[in-house]
Amino acid sequence: MKLSINWLKDYIDPKLSTDALIERLTMAGLEVEAIESVNGDTVLEIEITPNRPDCLNILGLAREIGAITGKTVKSPKIKNHKSTVIKNLIHIEDKKACSRYIGTLIRDVQIKDVPQAMKQRLISLGINAINNAVDITNFVLMETGQPLHAFDFDKLAGGKIAVRRARAGETIVTLDGIERKLDTSILVIADAEKPVAIAGVMGGQDTQITAATKNILLESAHFEMGLVRRASRSLGLRSDSSYRFERNVNFEDVLTGANRATDLLLQLTGGHVSGRGEVSVKTKNVSTKIKVKISDIESLLGLEIKPLKVKTWLEKLGFKLTAKAGTLIVTVPGNRADVQQDVDVIEEVARMIGFDRLPSKLPTIKTVNITVDKRPREIREKIRRVLMAGSIDEIITHNMINSKALVKTNMANLPVVRVFNPLSQDQELMRPSMLPSMLQVALTNINRGQKDFRFFEFGKRYFVDAEKETLGILISGRRAHDWRTSKKDTVEIFDLKGLMQRIFQAIGINPVFEANQFAVLDTSCATTFMLNGKYLGSLGKIDRKILNNWDIKNQDIYYAGLHLDEVYPLPNSSLKYQPISEFPAIGRDVSLAVKKEIPYQKIEEICHQQGGDILRSVQFIEQYLGDKIQPGTKGLVFSCQYQSNARTLREDEVNAVHERILQALTHDLAAIRR
Amino acid sequence: MQWNFQEIHTQAQAEAQAIDSPQAMEVFRLKYLGKKGVVAAVFASLGGALPTDKAAIGKGANDLRSFVEQLISEKSSNVSVPKIFGEQVDTSLPGTGEPLGHTHILTQTMQEIIAVFEGMGFVTIETPEVETEFHNFTGLNIPIDHPSRDAFDTFYLDAEDPSSKGRRLLLRSHTSPGQVRIMKQHKPPMAVIVPGRVYRPDAVDASHSFMFHQVEGLLVDDKAQFSELKGLLTEFCRRFFGPKVIMRFRPHFFPFTEPSAEVDINAEILGIQRKKWLEILGCGMVNPKVFEQVGYPKGKYKGFAFGMGVERMAMLKYGINDIRLFYENDVRFLKQF
Repeated sequence: MKLSINWLKDYIDPKLSTDALIERLTMAGLEVEAIESVNGDTVLEIEITPNRPDCLNILGLAREIGAITGKTVKSPKIKNHKSTVIKNLIHIEDKKACSRYIGTLIRDVQIKDVPQAMKQRLISLGINAINNAVDITNFVLMETGQPLHAFDFDKLAGGKIAVRRARAGETIVTLDGIERKLDTSILVIADAEKPVAIAGVMGGQDTQITAATKNILLESAHFEMGLVRRASRSLGLRSDSSYRFERNVNFEDVLTGANRATDLLLQLTGGHVSGRGEVSVKTKNVSTKIKVKISDIESLLGLEIKPLKVKTWLEKLGFKLTAKAGTLIVTVPGNRADVQQDVDVIEEVARMIGFDRLPSKLPTIKTVNITVDKRPREIREKIRRVLMAGSIDEIITHNMINSKALVKTNMANLPVVRVFNPLSQDQELMRPSMLPSMLQVALTNINRGQKDFRFFEFGKRYFVDAEKETLGILISGRRAHDWRTSKKDTVEIFDLKGLMQRIFQAIGINPVFEANQFAVLDTSCATTFMLNGKYLGSLGKIDRKILNNWDIKNQDIYYAGLHLDEVYPLPNSSLKYQPISEFPAIGRDVSLAVKKEIPYQKIEEICHQQGGDILRSVQFIEQYLGDKIQPGTKGLVFSCQYQSNARTLREDEVNAVHERILQALTHDLAAIRR
Repeated sequence: MQWNFQEIHTQAQAEAQAIDSPQAMEVFRLKYLGKKGVVAAVFASLGGALPTDKAAIGKGANDLRSFVEQLISEKSSNVSVPKIFGEQVDTSLPGTGEPLGHTHILTQTMQEIIAVFEGMGFVTIETPEVETEFHNFTGLNIPIDHPSRDAFDTFYLDAEDPSSKGRRLLLRSHTSPGQVRIMKQHKPPMAVIVPGRVYRPDAVDASHSFMFHQVEGLLVDDKAQFSELKGLLTEFCRRFFGPKVIMRFRPHFFPFTEPSAEVDINAEILGIQRKKWLEILGCGMVNPKVFEQVGYPKGKYKGFAFGMGVERMAMLKYGINDIRLFYENDVRFLKQF
């Protein structure tokens, strides 16, 4: 809402500098967002919160300023034009949509310019001056907040007004010259034949006031706020009228506005009132009365207060009060529909005191009733530590994605939750997997020449019945940045597996790695981890075809996903102290050749089956895949560690067990000792 | 083999005296203590020695080693070169190992906000992003016909709300539905923080995103006061922005609080010149209609609530001028924090 200081001074002189006025308005909840200077006038742009439509006009702001400063407001004198009643001038089909309509017929007008002073008022508020009839409707709208419209009466077919829903196929050319298609949800003002205005939004070109207009029908009405808002939004058409109707116009101001505009029209067009038609569901607002205890004001705001001061402030704001025995009975004026209960009145008092003058102290905080499951957060923090140590950077991605991203990631078959009203196709669904949005980040960086990256995200996957928390990790590019610690090689699956194993260690779970079940990974280089038969996630190299779909050509990318929602409910690992053996360990290195398809894990399993209680651990040392070995086989080197907690092991008993292991490996896996 | 230890000692002493450079020192060290040096040779001879001689030879070797080591140590304090063995290492080279990963600045900011309130006794609870109209609107005293319920201001999902036939599920447009959920589930007293993602159909530009993060706070007991809300948030701002922050509480409007306020801080504390005040959060006393919606007995409880945008806090604190940087995840951005 724009406030012209010159216009304001027609009703009140705040006797404050502009800076002081801005400060006071802002601290009373009428935040001044900008100041401009228009032809010697100062104009403030004020943000009016949606609960305060009464401040969307100069008189409303004058009343607030009167309350803030204690100065008196001089309202303009308005005559009530009780004239001949014109029967059947107005017909309202839906009284919920339009609860009041006053049509004033003014005949023999002369259309010309308004006086310079009025023109200047409008220009200050950014409104173009057009002609006296139109300017007066705009002037009264800004002055009182009541939207008005002037029709050229002689152009209204049948000389009548109907307030009804638009009919299928109807159109109207609005004042801005644009033809608009109407649908049956839109409320229109129609003459006997066609719509002549979109109710509360904008009038039509056909019936607008022109230099030739002789007779005016002045509309002052009350339209339902939701209807106006939806019409305005669906047509993409906003006006000063629709802005006010959307926030609700005071029922009583329909008459005030009609009378004020009639006054000015008679003064400035030389016309005379021929008659008036009115349809109204009621004659007055039912006024709200609210009981407010002084002690409640004091306890909510935390200070002592004088009832007399409260009374003065509230009366200045337009409330009527009676007081008895520490209780105020507050009668709310019709333009303050936002005040409905005692706390609303308390807020008015607080505004008048000034929030900054209210006391400030720390609360005593008691929370006894809520126990929160701390495990999800603890698990995330433990994982975060491992990821930080592993040089992985956290990313936060969009979880609303394009269905094309799913197709590119070969996930088109996943069930998805669609957004009903996306802004664009890029946000048409909630992601069922972390991978597409993470790949988008990879692509963005690759396109900027940043090909070495390690990312993780704690995010969610969305399903019709659940939001599932997930950890996604994406790594690619050089393994290390320092020639001293690494050759110039790139990351591989074991970097990701090692990272995932450290994560498992950090959160105290021990899943088993099995054959890959995650379709987007390259089966020859991926694995899935399971715990007690439950799928926890997978890791591996992303399928080349998918990377090609994403236009990532020259590098491999590795992905790991961990379903945190499956991890959170797992029992806390119950660690118990294991005595440290006082006796020496004996190590035996083994070098074998086995068929390439035999997984190393199988060898460890056989060792443990045969190793009895003296085999402590099996440690992998090296894999050999070169050509100095029989084709179709690979070399494996590992070490068996033997130890007992009870005694020093004898050479011969270690030898016996070790030999048993070797024979089993030879027998079960056709392993050859090297 | 027989060893004349006396003679070896004398010779070593003479050689040590002649040392005049680190290189000479190294030659000397290798001659006596190296793998193929004199001491090693003495030890090696133990194998072929007569049993009666073994003890004397072993002792001789050990004594010789001690003697040479002492000569070296005495000599090195006299040789006027800072380091005796090998070339000076260029310790200005960087240390080895990979750098730490980076926690996203939004996560850091959120953790920082949460830590302040947890430090004052609040507990953190996460609630779902997919919400019902009841939790997101009705329970918060946002009327059925309120503009914020329009498809222009809230993302709805192509899924029916199982608790309300014919109504769609939606993506929460603020973290405040967390208040409704928590109050429906628990009785006061309570002091909770609800952090999380929220969604609004705003066209994306430097200051708008259709997805962003908020932190919500709620305190309810039988006598909460506006003065306590002021005190709490003042303390928060001091801890988050520093003790010199200047704040102001400005009346505002939210359907779920009454009175409602917005909090501004002085722009100067963040080195911002173009304006005097920066809005950082919204707050107020819980509207009794919200207590009614969650089924609390009329008039029994008082409370206050507040909410802030994490992106906004981070942008202000770290001088980030484009909200899109947070979700673009350029490594050059990520690695700054």
